[in-house]
Amino acid sequence: MVTGERAAAEAARRGEFTFCTVQYESGDWDSAPLVAPNIIDTIARYTAIPVTPTGVIAPLGGDALHRYPLAYLTGHLPVRFTEAERRNLKRYVERGGLLFVDDHNHDVDGMFHKTATEELTRAVGPLADLPNDHELYRAFFTFADGPPTTAHEMNGWGDNLVHEHLQATLVDGRIGVLYSSKDYSSEWNYHPDSKRFLSVDNTRFAVNLVVYALTR
Amino acid sequence: MTAREQVARLARVLAAVRATRTGLWALAAGMLAFAVLRLLAAFGVVVPRPGMVAAVLVTAVAAGAVAYWRGGAAASPTRAALWVEEQVPGLDYALVTAADPRFAATAPFLAPRLRDIPWERLSRAAAVRALAPPLVVLLAASALLLVTPRGHTAAPAARAPGAGGSTATTPPAASPLARLRATVQPPAYTGLPATTLDDPASVAAVVASRVELRGAGEGSVAAELGGRAVAVTRDGRAWRLSLAMPHAPGALRLTSGGAERLVVLEPRADSAPVVTLARTVVDTVVRAPTGGIPLAGEATDDFGLASAAWEWIASSGEGENFTFRSGTLGGAALDGRRRAEPRATLSLDALELKPGDFVHVRLVARDRNTVSGPGVGVSETRTIRVARVGEYDSLAVEGAPPPEVDKSALSQRMLLLLTERLEERRPRLARATVVSESQAIARDQTALRKRVGELIYTRLGEGVDGEHSHFAGDGHEHGVEGKLDPADLLAQASKATGGGEPTMLDFEGDETPVVAVNQPLLEAYNHMWDASRELEVGAPGRAIAPMRRALVALQKAREAERIYLRGRPPAVVVDVARARLQGKDSAGVVSGRTPREDIDAAAAARARRLDRALLLLDAQPAAAVDSLLLLRVDALAEAPALAGALGDAIERLRGGRDATDALRRARRLADGEPHTAPGLPAWSGGGW
Repeated sequence: MVTGERAAAEAARRGEFTFCTVQYESGDWDSAPLVAPNIIDTIARYTAIPVTPTGVIAPLGGDALHRYPLAYLTGHLPVRFTEAERRNLKRYVERGGLLFVDDHNHDVDGMFHKTATEELTRAVGPLADLPNDHELYRAFFTFADGPPTTAHEMNGWGDNLVHEHLQATLVDGRIGVLYSSKDYSSEWNYHPDSKRFLSVDNTRFAVNLVVYALTR
Repeated sequence: MTAREQVARLARVLAAVRATRTGLWALAAGMLAFAVLRLLAAFGVVVPRPGMVAAVLVTAVAAGAVAYWRGGAAASPTRAALWVEEQVPGLDYALVTAADPRFAATAPFLAPRLRDIPWERLSRAAAVRALAPPLVVLLAASALLLVTPRGHTAAPAARAPGAGGSTATTPPAASPLARLRATVQPPAYTGLPATTLDDPASVAAVVASRVELRGAGEGSVAAELGGRAVAVTRDGRAWRLSLAMPHAPGALRLTSGGAERLVVLEPRADSAPVVTLARTVVDTVVRAPTGGIPLAGEATDDFGLASAAWEWIASSGEGENFTFRSGTLGGAALDGRRRAEPRATLSLDALELKPGDFVHVRLVARDRNTVSGPGVGVSETRTIRVARVGEYDSLAVEGAPPPEVDKSALSQRMLLLLTERLEERRPRLARATVVSESQAIARDQTALRKRVGELIYTRLGEGVDGEHSHFAGDGHEHGVEGKLDPADLLAQASKATGGGEPTMLDFEGDETPVVAVNQPLLEAYNHMWDASRELEVGAPGRAIAPMRRALVALQKAREAERIYLRGRPPAVVVDVARARLQGKDSAGVVSGRTPREDIDAAAAARARRLDRALLLLDAQPAAAVDSLLLLRVDALAEAPALAGALGDAIERLRGGRDATDALRRARRLADGEPHTAPGLPAWSGGGW
């Protein structure tokens, strides 16, 4: 990943999609560093969307976040946004951004879930179950049963639940914040070259996320 | 009737004409002044209402005084007789003599000469001459008043008293909506008293306050709020409705027969407590999980606090295995106090923390809102971390006093500046002085070069001593001294990594990995060497060029470094072309992102609505007030300043007062901040 302002601005000028990982003051925001290249690889594999070969890291409280239509936030530890982060997140969502939050603990009793959902509710609004027939699940690939299950949901850690729904806060009818307890951060946190060992690419749902964020 | 009686009667008529003329002139002048002021207002010159009244009164009184002063014949019989003599010159003072009581005896002799005086015609002529001019002016002023626009003042007489916000179907005075009374009972927890408002255009109250509206009159009354009917109860001629103040602003629409009236409900939210931390002010890392950490904070609330407590979360573990514990500390009931300063001590021993664990602490306060709450306010969270095992092993602790020379204050740029100054002064200095000062700079340059060398050797895994042997002027004899070259470095690198004999790898020329990494520092090192050599022999002028090159190389090295304070994530660069199988996959082209409407679209819509309402103001003032009321409802949540200005304007319009200022303020707020171009003057003075 790069944090270069100039490179990011250049990519934006070229009209490329750039994957953005959100850096927040508390917690371990960088707990899944390989998710970004993996999703970039997936976008390159399945679509013709111009894509920057490396992701960027953008502070949640900074203006740079507004360059990216999709932002990814994860972690294990309790999340406490600063007032600036809260304010900026609200602005980001209101101005058309989509924040994808994934609980790296996949534990509804865990502190990431409790604190992150509380902070998101304070910043943007309450989360509600996203129906499994939502257009997100047909934005590129079709996921008839809703969000794809991950291999980590029942791995003995976390809450050991298969979560049927993702949760979302809708802003003017579109998803502003998408929250997952399915631990896509673990599921997608591998080097893209290892994808060849999978019979079914488990990152295809990320294409729907990107296409939805770019077109809605 | 005798001549004396005729003269006395004429005197009374003339006095009446004079008084009427005075009044007419005063009225005409006042109306003319009012018409002129309204005309000025139409052109943007607005005179405040008190000023307008004063101007009209002064003009009227002045005109009346002048008219009275120039009123012609006085009311005394003698002057009336003289006035008649003027009008009928052939009398030769016969009338004046006959009217004088002192010559009463001559009256019978003079009577034949006075018989033909046209008393009625004289009276009419006097009245016409005196009253015609003010009447003409009065008519002209009335005509001017009719054609001038009325400005932004709704005529109060056009509506029944107190009938605010009505449309074309204005409630008549007998309507049950003509006069309203609102009673607001705030929720008990606020401790606020009940208030009563007469004929309110809007009712502002805390959310969930009980709002009761009452009125009286014949005919049915219906009420609607946000599309839902509100029950209205009748008791004889009186009616009443009661509702709870909603969370969002709304317009309560009251209808009776063909009449309608709007009342804006303006909720005041009960704010959540504001909580701040006084101690601990920063996140902390503790070496060992023992002892206590004092906590202090402050909580305030607009209606009173119910409780406050410190919340903590202890996180342990790593990787996939995290465990959490949480709890509260120092909880206290605050019994409605508006301000509290909770304090507590976080005992690290009691939490049984292990190295690497985190504790998050924050202060949480709840208010007494039992209706829509309680409102919860939280402070920023502080993180207290227990250091990991071995975390401090690599930490360089400088126990001793600072070194003799403050190396941090020494920079290549500073040495360059010193050398340039010395070179400037050199023609005026003795040679011995030049050499002395130049050698002093040379020593600093050598020290700085040594630090650069340390950096290079540290990267190679060699101790500082390895570089030490290569410095000149350090007072040691460790062999050959001189510049570093890539072969030396490669040898050092091989030695450091145990790689045996150094071999050139697959890099161009002498560009080994070691050299590539250290290239800018090596350049700087060698230029510094050249510079110090020239300085040693007292030639600062010749040292400047290599010193500048060294500075450029150091800057390059600085820019090449990337420091990741939180650790360096793996830099995976995706080969997009390869992932796309040389670009043959074209699964479809996804259109670009649709640009969203500007975020200020709502503000622009409000401005357009305000424009439309203002256009209505002259033709249909009541409908315009309605439009402003509804606009205010929408503005309450998103643009409170605009809502305030609109409320002011509505009150003024309803009271029949001039609302121009308030509307102008509302217009400015609705249009937003003016766009300015930095650097351009506000007015160029050169025309449009």
